[in-house]
Amino acid sequence: MLFGTPLNEFLVIVLGGIFAGVIGSLTGLGGGSVLVPVLTIFYGVPIDFAIGASLISTIATSAGSASTYTKKGIANIKIGVGLEVATTLGAVVGALTFILVTRQHLEWVLYLLFGLVLLSSLIPTIQRGKYEFPEAKMPDFTSRAFQLTGRYTDDRAKKTVTYTGVRWWLGEIIMFFAGLLSGLLGIGSGALKVLGMDWAMNLPMKVTTTTSNFMIGITAATGSSIYWYAGYISFFLAAATAIGVLVGSRVGSHVLMKISNKEIRWIFFAILSFLGIDMLFKGIRQGNIFDLQKRLTGLLSFSIAVGVSILMILLLYLYTKRGVSYSGGNITKTD
Amino acid sequence: MEEISQKLINIVSIILKGAVFLSMGSIIIGVILLFVKNGGDGYSLQTLANYSNYSVAKSYSSSIFSPAKIPYGIITLDPIGFISLGLWVLIFTPVSVLFTSLVDYIYNKNKLYVVLTFMVLFNLFTAIFIIPSFVHL
Repeated sequence: MLFGTPLNEFLVIVLGGIFAGVIGSLTGLGGGSVLVPVLTIFYGVPIDFAIGASLISTIATSAGSASTYTKKGIANIKIGVGLEVATTLGAVVGALTFILVTRQHLEWVLYLLFGLVLLSSLIPTIQRGKYEFPEAKMPDFTSRAFQLTGRYTDDRAKKTVTYTGVRWWLGEIIMFFAGLLSGLLGIGSGALKVLGMDWAMNLPMKVTTTTSNFMIGITAATGSSIYWYAGYISFFLAAATAIGVLVGSRVGSHVLMKISNKEIRWIFFAILSFLGIDMLFKGIRQGNIFDLQKRLTGLLSFSIAVGVSILMILLLYLYTKRGVSYSGGNITKTD
Repeated sequence: MEEISQKLINIVSIILKGAVFLSMGSIIIGVILLFVKNGGDGYSLQTLANYSNYSVAKSYSSSIFSPAKIPYGIITLDPIGFISLGLWVLIFTPVSVLFTSLVDYIYNKNKLYVVLTFMVLFNLFTAIFIIPSFVHL
């Protein structure tokens, strides 16, 4: 026992879940991306169970937030269901790969991959919100065939936005990988889902994020049932994290609506990049890559992770600021 | 342009909200019982809470409690029964959402989306009912 009695232990995990939920929703990355590193780095949870607990908690947060967005009619259920064909297939492949990897005791691969995925999903997440409405593209064959049209009322812009999606096939391909990562790493892989719908299918940002939220639950449920039977869901852990992450994401979304100074999000991005780098190092140490197991001590990798993450986020911050000022501070695309 | 049925949206929203309440309620009852009874499903609390020891955690995790044991667990006020019910409600929430939209597509004669929803349901059911028999230890 790390924290004394089982009751203390439980409450501390709930707190960790709340922390993960708050940061996950403030940054838009989702609770799982924060929960897995927090559980493995600070609580000493084996990554297999951290991933299992995270995956099932992701369904709760997705259902919790999606109920609000679907009611407002922003999330496009039809487009979401269509893309789920690929994500659920990906989730099955991902969950089976996870079982294969853990039975071969190759957990270091999971750490390494988790670190890489977390770090690479930071950039599209930071870029998100710089532009809200994509430039209209000519509808293609799939726009009509798969009924990729829809509309919603934008409260802030006070207008009804009509949109048409394109390149359904490319969206499906990206969604397969989003599902794969979800099943393999226990995350919602919202960043990749957004990439698929925003970049590939040219849907408005609001539709993309809310539909992605709705989809995450279906994808995570597919993986969770396989995890259940294979025995990667600890009752004690999963009960604590499901409660914690749900509460945390609720708090996070309320805070997000209230904070006027969006700059504060950069602190959270710095925390996320630290977690990503630390996971990467954990993978390198455990896998003994470059024979670094002895030389790269916990303290050393911790310090390097802190330093690199501060530097990285500072550079990204300056880069993003510059990008925005070129376009006159508007929410238009800047490339 | 085809409208997204407002009724569908409302039902989906209600299902999602209800499922979260039911699931969280069940998990919380389970956790309270777990601490009151100092264990569950015949295992001590110390054993169930020992997540940092890999082999102990693996031996007393979800694979020991198949969903078929949930009804008996609920009747006997077993903590693991309640926690499992909460977690399985979460897993089945998306399934019910998919069924609702399937009904809507059938009603609106949207053949393509009936087929697509069936494909998603097929993947989900494969994951829930077929694959487990291969991965069970």
